[in-house]
Amino acid sequence: MGERTKQIITLSLPSSMQHVDLLEVVVTEILKETNFTEDIQEQINLAVIEAGTNATKHGNEEDPGGKTAFQLILAEDKLTIDTEDEGEGATPKDTETEHVITLTLPSSMQHVYLLDVVVTEILKETDFTEDIQEQINLAVIEAGTNAIKHGNKEDPNKKATLQFTIAEDKLAILIKDEGVGFTRKEVADPLDPENLLKSSGRGLFLMEACMDSVTYEANGTIIKMVKYKETPEP
Amino acid sequence: MQVNLRHKGSITILDIEGRVIGADALALKAIIDQQIQAIDSEGEHEEKLNLILNMERVQMMDSSGLGALVASHTTIQRGGGNVVLLNLGGNVRSLIVMAKLMTIFDCYNTEAEAIAGIMKS
Repeated sequence: MGERTKQIITLSLPSSMQHVDLLEVVVTEILKETNFTEDIQEQINLAVIEAGTNATKHGNEEDPGGKTAFQLILAEDKLTIDTEDEGEGATPKDTETEHVITLTLPSSMQHVYLLDVVVTEILKETDFTEDIQEQINLAVIEAGTNAIKHGNKEDPNKKATLQFTIAEDKLAILIKDEGVGFTRKEVADPLDPENLLKSSGRGLFLMEACMDSVTYEANGTIIKMVKYKETPEP
Repeated sequence: MQVNLRHKGSITILDIEGRVIGADALALKAIIDQQIQAIDSEGEHEEKLNLILNMERVQMMDSSGLGALVASHTTIQRGGGNVVLLNLGGNVRSLIVMAKLMTIFDCYNTEAEAIAGIMKS
């Protein structure tokens, strides 16, 4: 029961206390999708933060190479939250200068808002200017929307995965969907006069305009975007 | 996203607020379509929709939101009406500039100028 409406969101964080804030914004956003009262939402939020702090501080002893994975399962009748320190075998190990945060979402347009708050929070950890932060934010929303809408066709059983690698000199973002893919050069140019007044088709163009590099792999089901701290020499 | 609807004489003003992202585009399009239909159902075929979209409190807009603006612009113009943008913030302005749509939309910095502009055209 409730199996079909069950939504699983996973968040994998490096074991650093600064990421507890990120966990909080994710949980707060997910709780908005439930019909728990505000008081109950506060209680759940507190419990998750305590669990996250424990896993980060005591489980992994704040080893930045350690990972804490949170699985938030939203069903019709309940919210289940699993915390696991040092799980996620597939997630790359962090180094002292590189942090990897992974977010996995079911393909529902509703989750674009969750993605927005996650990116906003991650960008706070970087020292990009406000303008650049907004550009990255837009590129991630476009990429996430594409993965959910065009890649996974809003099939809730298909996942969109976003992996953020925060390095000293750059922010790298990988977006993966479970769709059939596409060929970049077959997508029409939205700046072509005959396409200017179309109501869609600007997503990839905006991603490329906002980021320093955008590459398409695995037939377009994996997109890698990079923004450097300083514009690289031409 | 939040949208507040008000009227000033024959002009309809939508005050849009927040981040217009994801599914918000569909919601915004539906609100504008409702205004188009409201004009149509009044049965006075002389009547046209004159719409001001106040973007002052829009922090961010994605390509779906922009697509909703473009689609509404096309529909309203086809019906002989007008849609203009008011108080574009930096983010939305640069989005419209990047998409080369600055020539499509008439943009104003004050409500009085927007009203004057919409009445003239």
